[in-house]
Amino acid sequence: MVGMNAIKKKITRTQVEGLVILLVAIGYLWEAQNVPLLYQVPGVPGPTTFPWLLGIVFGLSGVWLLVSPHRLIARLRKEAADEDEDAPEAPAPSGAAFWDPITRDWHFYTIWAVILGYLVLMPSLGFPVATALLLAMFVSLLGEQRWWVVAGLALVATTVIYTGFALGLRVRLPLGVLEPLVK
Amino acid sequence: MFEHLINGFGVALQPFNLLIALVGCLIGTVIGVLPGLGPTATLAMLIPLIFSMPPATALILLTSVYYGSMYGGSTTSILVNIPGESASVITTIDGHKMAMQGRAGPALAIAAIGSFIAGTFAVVVLTFLGAPVAEYALHFGPAEFFALMVFGLATVASLTGTNVTKSVVTTCLGLMISTVGIDLVSGAPRYTFGNPFLQDGIDFVVVAIGMFAFTEVIITAREVREGTRAEVVKAAGIWVSWKEVVYSLPSIARGTFFGFLVGMLPGAGATLSTFIAYNLEKRICKNPELLGTGDIRGVANPESSNNAASGASLVPLLTLGLPGGGATAIMLGALMMLDITPGPLMFEKHAGMIWALIASMYVGNALLLILNWPLVNVFARIMTVPVKYLMPIVLVISTIGVWSLSYSEVDLILTAGAGMLGYYMRMHKYPVEPLILGLILGGRMEQAYRQALIISKGSNLVFLQHPISLVLLIGALLFLFLPTLLARSKQFYMARKTSVEAA
Repeated sequence: MVGMNAIKKKITRTQVEGLVILLVAIGYLWEAQNVPLLYQVPGVPGPTTFPWLLGIVFGLSGVWLLVSPHRLIARLRKEAADEDEDAPEAPAPSGAAFWDPITRDWHFYTIWAVILGYLVLMPSLGFPVATALLLAMFVSLLGEQRWWVVAGLALVATTVIYTGFALGLRVRLPLGVLEPLVK
Repeated sequence: MFEHLINGFGVALQPFNLLIALVGCLIGTVIGVLPGLGPTATLAMLIPLIFSMPPATALILLTSVYYGSMYGGSTTSILVNIPGESASVITTIDGHKMAMQGRAGPALAIAAIGSFIAGTFAVVVLTFLGAPVAEYALHFGPAEFFALMVFGLATVASLTGTNVTKSVVTTCLGLMISTVGIDLVSGAPRYTFGNPFLQDGIDFVVVAIGMFAFTEVIITAREVREGTRAEVVKAAGIWVSWKEVVYSLPSIARGTFFGFLVGMLPGAGATLSTFIAYNLEKRICKNPELLGTGDIRGVANPESSNNAASGASLVPLLTLGLPGGGATAIMLGALMMLDITPGPLMFEKHAGMIWALIASMYVGNALLLILNWPLVNVFARIMTVPVKYLMPIVLVISTIGVWSLSYSEVDLILTAGAGMLGYYMRMHKYPVEPLILGLILGGRMEQAYRQALIISKGSNLVFLQHPISLVLLIGALLFLFLPTLLARSKQFYMARKTSVEAA
């Protein structure tokens, strides 16, 4: 536990982000080398000139986040005020597990999972079924406990949205599993 | 010019365009009232709808939603003490106090009057300023345009968010995403990793809906679970005495003026304009100690300022093709999707459309005044629609928006990725607007950059040899570094001072 806190104090979140940004910049510049140079005319900027400029600025910003004197200022402040703004984590109460925030916020993470699932599965599951499921799960996760409200809202909203967009605005919405029923 | 304007009114007053303006104003007011759902997310959601419309109509819809949202934001600030938009945060200071003192009516009325005056002022200036600015910008070559876009991105990066480096990071990321796809000059595929879906590049709508709409749904969902929502104060009457109007007029005038000036600057936007105008108001007005205690001027000033600023931000957008924030960036993207090249040529090539838009803004401001004044209690009741029912529906409509672009599963997965990245960015103070701006401007910026280099035979010095481009680049540098240097030296100074004192 002590070791963890010591490491946390040495590396701030911003520095980790800076490192990630630097790595992304390196990857971006590396990939620029794989761009095929068709019809390259000497003296004329090619398809990688602009990406090189961007990658370098991006990487330098990452380096700056990694090494900026922000932490030095924070430490000076801390010495003055005897509290550290940059590393706010108080020593966790004993017995607090790593997944404590996850269990506390499970609603929130489940909402994320439901949304991602919806985006990935909607084309194959079909719009009506996926949307009704999404609405039902989302509304119940937000604290609605009356099942008839959940079911009613899911069905009515799905029908209204499907009718409005598919028939009214002629957006092609996939029927998915309902396809055999329609045919 | 007046001939153009009259022709514009001819188009704007066509029944269908009038209806669209009315619908846009209504949508704008509603999203202005609803906390959580902002104009940028709504505009992104509307984009797929506008493909079937003529360009003038599409633009009328988008702009009326945009400036309409500034009207609605004040309603909840005053009645509920929850700003509907960030641009109405200042209004809560005096506005809600007035409501608690039983003066909600005058507060709402002066907000509507101030908004109307400021909105109309902004359109009048746009009418007179638009064409000359565009004509001046016609002299710009590629080097100047590149420098102009650098300047725009630098001001946005400098003024949004708290940490300039983080803003630069997100701007660059947006530009980098814009390089994905087939290079239009050489035909070489870039960053497609062999995936044919990426050859057309990444659509900004996909990223904008993921980063604005999806993250707003999630953030609001989290608030719904964690907090409770406040009670709505009902406004008994919505009249304001003539005396109070006269008392507020100077504040409206100052709010309008400063709001417009600040709003013209890319990146400053309506929210910052209200803070600046209100702070200046405190120094300029008589009896400044009354501000903050439920003074009607404290409503009149920021509400005029945010409307003037949102109108003013259309000046660089329409004349230079330079958007100043998320909402105007999405409008620019929409223009490009409608095959209209934004920039100074718009006033020449698409004069009919531009003047129809300007005319429709006169109409829209009048519509908003008529809509908002008597119906304010009705709009305030929208607040009581439980967000838990609304947010999932926003989510579904956003998904349809992405899906309808090209019916591709890749787009949905990219949206999911943009949503997750956007959520992380918003939680850890990486501003999202510069990314969208970079993504939308990236293509034109690269084109200008390469054209300038072709003309100069590969020498980067070309950007420093042209006086306009040099001035713009110096301005960009100043914007990027001055706030940082000031803040750093102050931080250093304060940190050192406190440490010395403690010792």
